[in-house]
Amino acid sequence: MGDVKLAIIVQKPQYKGETSRLGITHAISYQTVEILLADGDTVTPKLCFMGEGVLGIQKGQNAMDLYGITSTETHVKNTLLVDLDVLVCKEDLAKYGIPEDAMPDAEDMGADKKIQVVPFSEIQKAIDESKHVLFF
Amino acid sequence: MKLGVFVSDFKLTADTLDRLKADNLGIILVLNGIYHATTKENGKASSLLDKTSNLYALSEDIQIRGMKDSDVDKRVKVVNYGDVVDLIFNEFDKVAWL
Amino acid sequence: MGNLTIGCFPGLVGNMTYDFALKLAEAAANKGHKVNIWFSGNASGSVKAKQKHLKDYSTGEKYLKALIEKGVEVCACEACSNARGIDKTNAIEGVQWNAMHWYLAKIHASDRVLHIGGE
Repeated sequence: MGDVKLAIIVQKPQYKGETSRLGITHAISYQTVEILLADGDTVTPKLCFMGEGVLGIQKGQNAMDLYGITSTETHVKNTLLVDLDVLVCKEDLAKYGIPEDAMPDAEDMGADKKIQVVPFSEIQKAIDESKHVLFF
Repeated sequence: MKLGVFVSDFKLTADTLDRLKADNLGIILVLNGIYHATTKENGKASSLLDKTSNLYALSEDIQIRGMKDSDVDKRVKVVNYGDVVDLIFNEFDKVAWL
Repeated sequence: MGNLTIGCFPGLVGNMTYDFALKLAEAAANKGHKVNIWFSGNASGSVKAKQKHLKDYSTGEKYLKALIEKGVEVCACEACSNARGIDKTNAIEGVQWNAMHWYLAKIHASDRVLHIGGE
């Protein structure tokens, strides 16, 4: 069957419900899905943040000290460490006044990938090119 | 792309739906989303109904809210769960829940 | 016939989105489709056994057992369930346990996926 592409779209803000975090962790689980698939089969997600989903991913979060939970920032860094493509909607960052350089990166942890701030058209393209789309 | 979108709320999902593009867009109104099909605001029907001609509303969710199929905007086709299954498999390449 | 995977994340009691997911699964199974349901987030709490079907409170247990008997595969996220004090010893019989990659593996094999996100 080969590779199945997924578009995982986070459109809700973080730190109320766990939905947004689960979108990220489900995307990361592409790393281990092969143990349940036939040889050569893979799942390739693109993790996209849009709408209010762009609100809670900026750097400088302090979730561990305040609530004892892993921050969304850390989860996002982990996505980069496992070579996921992470797209953040440029128009929505601008709408909410969030500068692009507020996006976290994981270069100091050895990640090759960086967050891609892109126009919504690129997120639409990810949806078009995927076999399934999952809105979190 | 043939995309079927489930709308389950009255207000919250409008922004995302406004942005999604598809060659063939279907909107399936379920849960509180059925109010888009039955309820006018200040005498005006929901603008969501202008987005596509492929509009569906779940009968069970209409009836549980004390309304009848006859309360539904004429542009919307009333369907049951079995019909929804057929829509998912036969009318769309992929489906999304907003 | 096709293969449908439903990701169900909303909580059990007081959330009719959960009811919708199960009714849709039932309708698809009745039509002869292969159906898989993945419970994560608050939905993972719905696999606890010995639920009381009180008036005005929706329950998953009876429905889930009937779906499993129809051949629907129901799998709960083990981490999400354990976090809620639920494990194999106190869960509904027939429910599978796995990690998130179970969902992705079922998605890989599915013709259609309906991911119903949480609150």
